Amino acid sequence: MVPDVSAPMQIKNGELIMDADRAVLNAYDASGVEEALVLKEADGGAVIVVSVGPAKAAETLRKALAMGADSAVHITTEGVEGAGEFDSDSYAKILAAYYGEQEYDTLFFGKQSQDTDAGLTGSMVAELLGIPYVSNAVGITREADGRFLVKRQGDSGQEIVDAGTGCLITCSNDMNEPRIPKLKGIMASKKKPLEVLTLSDLGVNAADVQPKTQITAYVEIPARQAGQKFSEGAAEDAGRVAELLEQNDLLS
Amino acid sequence: MIFIHLLTIQGGAIKRASLEVLARGRALADALNNNGQEVELHTVVCSPEVADWDEAKWAAELGAYGVDRVWSATDESFKEHNNQALLAAVQTAHAQATDQAAKPSLVAMASTEGVKDILGALSARLGASVVADVSEFGVVAEGDGLHLTAIRPVMASKAQTQVQTTAKHVMVSVRSGSYGILEEARGQEGGTPNHEPIKIELIKIEQGDSKLQTQIREIITAAADIIDLNEAETIVAAGRGVKDETAKALIAELAQCLNAGIGASRALTEAGIYDPSVQIGQTGKVVAPQLYIAVGISGAIQHVAGITNTKVIVAVNKDADAPIFEVANYGIVGDLYEVLPAFIAEIKRLKG
Ligand SMILES: Cc1cc2nc3c(=O)[nH]c(=O)nc-3n(C[C@H](O)[C@H](O)[C@H](O)COP(=O)(O)OP(=O)(O)OC[C@H]3O[C@@H](n4cnc5c(N)ncnc54)[C@H](O)[C@@H]3O)c2cc1C
Repeated sequence: MVPDVSAPMQIKNGELIMDADRAVLNAYDASGVEEALVLKEADGGAVIVVSVGPAKAAETLRKALAMGADSAVHITTEGVEGAGEFDSDSYAKILAAYYGEQEYDTLFFGKQSQDTDAGLTGSMVAELLGIPYVSNAVGITREADGRFLVKRQGDSGQEIVDAGTGCLITCSNDMNEPRIPKLKGIMASKKKPLEVLTLSDLGVNAADVQPKTQITAYVEIPARQAGQKFSEGAAEDAGRVAELLEQNDLLS
Repeated sequence: MIFIHLLTIQGGAIKRASLEVLARGRALADALNNNGQEVELHTVVCSPEVADWDEAKWAAELGAYGVDRVWSATDESFKEHNNQALLAAVQTAHAQATDQAAKPSLVAMASTEGVKDILGALSARLGASVVADVSEFGVVAEGDGLHLTAIRPVMASKAQTQVQTTAKHVMVSVRSGSYGILEEARGQEGGTPNHEPIKIELIKIEQGDSKLQTQIREIITAAADIIDLNEAETIVAAGRGVKDETAKALIAELAQCLNAGIGASRALTEAGIYDPSVQIGQTGKVVAPQLYIAVGISGAIQHVAGITNTKVIVAVNKDADAPIFEVANYGIVGDLYEVLPAFIAEIKRLKG
């Protein structure tokens, strides 16, 4: 669940104020859901979507159910002390407490969230669970023996990684085009099970998941000024800009 | 306290982004030392082949950057990116450098794909506070400990947050282009004059739990001669307006005469027209060149998020209302098929 980064926003006295308090399904998570659905269509099984967050996180779980997930688990932080300031570390500990008691073939995470871009939670959870992981996946195939072959975007190119089974994979939105829920899916999603768990259901104390980082303020990003715009014809404009670059020592 | 800098070496040379973080680490350590703190700057070098390992070379290169101590993990597993091997190396070096975590520490590294892959897991393993992908960071000493203060862009670079950490051990990854490198260190041998000779220690990495290992089967690399976008001074980036081979050839020619790296918007990497590794933006790379020329790119926030630290942006777009013009220093409203040939000719003329 993330706020809609395309929506208008302002910063007032160090706080971020969104004009609309709307939560959307994180694009990178949506790619994870899509990939899980594709695997299920090929090999069978069930897709369970899990989210930790306040009451409105349930809306995004419904969206994933409408895409085709079988059931959802909402680990609610509504009313939990300090939940508004939770960081990746807090969420990872909560998720690890949950998954530690579950059985799964693989865990899909978004590679980052669209609002913070931190990209930490996935590998944190893998470390806490003691399972192998691959991040920044752009493609997944499954071998006959059930092993996951993951294509990830690395520094030196695309790495094809044998991740075995029981692994955690963080997904890039370059992996697929998440399906848009159809009316039928939306209707069906309303009847699908959505279990709500509290932190105490998981045996987690709020005190143990307090954040290790704090946002002290939101600040404006130094705005880039729109500069000069030329529209006198290709040759003339190109000539002017080339000259300006030359004057600024940029034609190396 | 101990500052630890992570250096992974695959192709032989040290990446500029890594040297930027090192230079920042040295400056922060000096400032704290001048204030009566005792700060040591260490580097963990993870490199493959033993043949590559040359103590004198690292002592000279890293000594010039004011590194006090090098922990060298030389292992076959560093031939390719391997998250468990990297985690094990940093964990081992960290334990030794900090006397089994007795001394507070800051672990700083360049925000590469390799680092993004391990950062979360590493912080969980060390019980550290972690701040990813910052554009600025500083350190405040408090009692025997330290706090990191950092600035990081959020909301697709429409805002930024000031962040502070609370744990005894702190980790940070830094966007390329956030800091300069120590120019005077370049080419200088044997360390800066007022620096002790650098100590180099070999560490053996415990491969740990084999069930955590993943195995690279194959690497699909783009052409070897392409310019690394994180290092490029100039980038020419193509967007959906670049529709055919003619336009691609114009992009290539412009890039060649500027000695520029070629990037692309998601529209083109998704369509398979450019290699996925050159995507620039929120999903792709964050770059900070001196000059960025966006051709046929509309300027969606997710694309612009990757170029906000660029010095000069030039946009070529036939739509006068394209949002890219709001961030461009110089905009040319026109058809790229007409603008680029004139632009290339003019640049060639000016460069003589
Ligand atoms: C979570 C998320 C992450 C994303 N990450 C990224 C990312 O990392 N990088 C990225 O680029 N995008 C990213 N996107 C996608 C982004 O939102 C845009 O869809 C994308 O950047 C559009 O690419 P474009 O500007 O090339 O294409 P368009 O938006 O289609 O723009 C094409 C432009 O070309 C111009 N044009 C066409 N023909 C000509 C011509 N002959 N001469 C001159 N101009 C011409 C048009 O006027 C238009 O402005 C992301 C989206 C999401 C949701």
